[in-house]
This record gives sequence, C-alpha cells and structure tokens, in this order.
Amino acid sequence: MFTSKAGLALAGFIAMAALLSVAIYAILMALPPKARKPLIAVVTFLSGAIYALEWVWPVDAGGKENFLTPYLKSFADIVTVLQGFALGIGIWSILTVHLKRVAQRRENWGFSVVLLGGILAMLIPYFLKDVHPNGYNKAIYAIAFDGAYNSLNATMYSVVAFYIVSAAYRAFRIRSIEATVLLGSAALIMLGQVALGQALTGWIPTTGFAANFRVENVANWILEKINSPALQAVELGVGVGTLAMALRLWLSLERGSYFEEDV
Amino acid sequence: MNHATWPARILMVIFTALIVFAIRKAQGGAQYQIRRIPGLSAIDEAVGRAVEMGRPVLLSHGLGGVDVITLQAVAICTSVARQVARFGGRVKLPIYSAPLFPLVEEAVGQAYADEGRPDAFSSDDMAFFAGQQFAYAAGVSGMIHREKPAATFYFGTFFAESLILAENAMQVGAIQVAGTPSTTQIPFFIAACDYVIIGDEYYAATAYITRQPTLLGSIVGQDRVKLALLLLILFGVVLGLFQLPVIANLLGKEDLGLDAYFARGPK
Repeated sequence: MFTSKAGLALAGFIAMAALLSVAIYAILMALPPKARKPLIAVVTFLSGAIYALEWVWPVDAGGKENFLTPYLKSFADIVTVLQGFALGIGIWSILTVHLKRVAQRRENWGFSVVLLGGILAMLIPYFLKDVHPNGYNKAIYAIAFDGAYNSLNATMYSVVAFYIVSAAYRAFRIRSIEATVLLGSAALIMLGQVALGQALTGWIPTTGFAANFRVENVANWILEKINSPALQAVELGVGVGTLAMALRLWLSLERGSYFEEDV
Repeated sequence: MNHATWPARILMVIFTALIVFAIRKAQGGAQYQIRRIPGLSAIDEAVGRAVEMGRPVLLSHGLGGVDVITLQAVAICTSVARQVARFGGRVKLPIYSAPLFPLVEEAVGQAYADEGRPDAFSSDDMAFFAGQQFAYAAGVSGMIHREKPAATFYFGTFFAESLILAENAMQVGAIQVAGTPSTTQIPFFIAACDYVIIGDEYYAATAYITRQPTLLGSIVGQDRVKLALLLLILFGVVLGLFQLPVIANLLGKEDLGLDAYFARGPK
C-alpha cells in the first residue's frame, strides 16, 4: 500500500504522521464521551474486520492470497506505530511518577533514582554506539549490556534451579491421594528419562507384552496417553476462551471491568 | 499466510453465533449460573486475611504487553483490587510492560474511586520493573520481601520467572492464587501456589467475580462451543471406529474444492 521512504521524505512522513496523530487525539478529546465511544467501537470493529475477512475470504487459484492479503503488512506496520505510541505513553508515565517521587523525597525515593539512572546507563551507551561507533563507545556498551545485564540475567535464571527443588519437595510431600499420584507419576517419568532408571527394568524383554512394563515405556505411556491429551484439552478450552474474549473486544460487547458499567 | 478452509469458516460462523447469541441473551436479562471455582472463591479469604494482618496484596499481570491475555489479567486484578479497596486494604502492583503502566494505574485507581477510597491508592503503590524477564523477577522478589504481602495474585502470561515469584511469596507466608493460559507454566504454579486457575477458567474469572451479564453470557457461549466440539469429536471417533474417517477428512483437508470453484468461476 505504501512504498518505503528514506532520508528527508521519511522524516517528512514521520512528522506528518505525528501531526495527524495529535490531530486525531485532539478531536477525540474534544468529542463528548457519548460520541467518543461509538467512534472507538467502529474503529475497533473495522480494524478487526480486516484481519477476520482476510482469514475467511476465499483465496486465489494458487491458494496463497486474496484481495486483502497484500495490505496486511501495512496494517501490521500501523499496529507497530500504535505500539510505539503506547510505549511512549508508558515511558512518559513512568518518568513522571519516579521524577515526582524523587523531587518530593517520598518513601523509597532512592529506588526511583536507581531506576532513572539505570535507564540512562543503558540508553546513552546504546545511542553512542550507533551515533559514534568508535571502540570506546562500543566497549562501554559491551560492559553495560554483555558485562552487567546479561550476567545479571543469567544469575537470576540460575536461581530457578534451586526453586524447582524446593517447590517439588513441597508438591511431592505425600499429603493426599493427588500428591501421591503426582509423586508416583513424576518418579516414573524421571526414571524413564535417565539411563539409571532404565537399567532398573533392563532385564524385562524389549518385545512382547512384558515390554509394556519397562520403565521408559511406562513413562512414555504416561506422557503420550495422559499428559498430552490433558494439555490439549486445556489448550482447547483456552482457545475457545480466547475466541470469546476477542469477540467481546472486537464487537465492543464488553463494557465491564476497565471500560465502564455493564450494558 | 494461513487462510481458513471451508469447514473452518463454517465452524467459526457457528461458534461466533453461539457466543454472541448467549451474550445478547444474558444482556437481555437471561439468568445464568456459574459453577464454584475454588481458586476464585479463595480471593475473598486471601483479601480478608491481608486486611486483618494489615499487610498489602500483591497483583502481578505477568510478562505480557497490551494483548488479550494481559487485558484479561488487568480485568481480573482490577476486580481483586476493587475487593481490596472495599475492605480497606492496600495493593502493590509490579509492572513489566511500560505501555501497561498507565492502563493499570487508571483501572485500579478507578476501582478505588468507585469504592469511595480514591486516596487509598496512588502511583507509589505501582512499580515498573524493566521490560526484561529476570529483572522483573528480581524486582518483584525484592518487593515481596520488603512489603511482605499477605496474599499474592499472578494472572497473565508467565514463563520461567513464575517459580521465582511464587517461591519468594511462599517464604513470606502469602496465600497465593495464580491463573495463566500458558500450559507450560501451570505445573510450576500448581507446585508452588495454594490455588491455581487453569485453562478457560482464566477467562471465566472476571465473570465469576463480577457476575456481569455480558461475561456470564460469554461463559455460557463458550461452554456451548466446547459441547459442540466434544460432540464433533465423539461423532468423528464413532465414525472412525467403523472405518469412516469423514470428520477427520473434513477438518483435515485443505479445502473442499470450493476455493478453486470461486477462483475460476462457474463453467
């Protein structure tokens, strides 16, 4: 729908888009709430209808696309731009909250200073690396990102291993029939995955009816015949729930919770 | 790009009609009941306990951005915040996604205002913990140990950090209620939390808490869709037993030749 722009033309398009966005925002704010809501409902419906129609409309003889397919990328770009606005609003909101907290010396204002300092400490090296890509700036970025951020990330991730053990200990304590079944099935599956466990039933023949009692086969049976169907059933329910929620949002049927009172 | 096959189109129209019809009927005054969900019934108990102990309630929306799952999480957490406000308690809201910050601030602030306690909630009760998974986990863990919440609620999209959050809250003795459609995280929450809402219970939560007709109608519509799917599966299994895989072929086939018919037009 739109061709790619570069240089001055790109800057011009961005400026025009920003102006247009401000104008739309001003118009929306100027409208009375009663007029604003139907407008938002119409835009929401049309936006969703494009994707829904593209999915259901019969495709060409090649089976690849219909008349709406070529426009999907442009619509996806619009979504990206809107997400950019949402991110901008979010960052503005966070900066306002934390700057106020620091200025008024409210409780825990020191944490706000750390947050604001952390944003700058990552932001400035990132831009300097791209604007002036010399060795010094690249090194600062590497220290901030690879040296600090990635290492801290890996440290937190490694903590999960310890929590898995403590959570498993509490879950597997035999307090009820469910916990006993959980412990039994977990033990069988763990044994079925490791050579030591498989060795326990290594003497059982690999063919014939008796092979069903080898621990790896029991583990596979639990995974394939019990675990997998149960997960698929949960996912089916989630899928239907997502469809219902999407319909409520798309058709503006939902008025509760964070929108307004029920219709 | 994926496109619908003819059976998918027909099924989608039927499912959409079932859900929208049930919602409209509920909005028109039809009375629907919803079964008891232990995890959601525990919300009152958890909130009451937090208020009695004078400790806050922590509400986490997970790692999603502004998407369907997270919007549902916002709706559930806002309903919980409304109850906390009603009982005169405090909430703590660690936020992962920057765009979500103003949305949650507005929703929870409105809930407190609706309950006549607008001054009991401020942006100081919210904290933005970087849009990075383990930075968020570290931030929430710190918040849990500093604030010592009596109840924690986790609703939304979670990954490996779910266990870090739940185990830290367990250490401070919080009642924990979790709900996520992420099937890979459900076992972790079951192991670490007191109550877990699984599968489509996640989408039933707001209906259960608020009893709004629109949401109750939606749950009824969902159940009818699931019943239709179940009957379709059973019908397919029975036909399969008699060596007639009609349903499997119907749903599995790319199309029934109608796409080609529309593309070339009638002869």
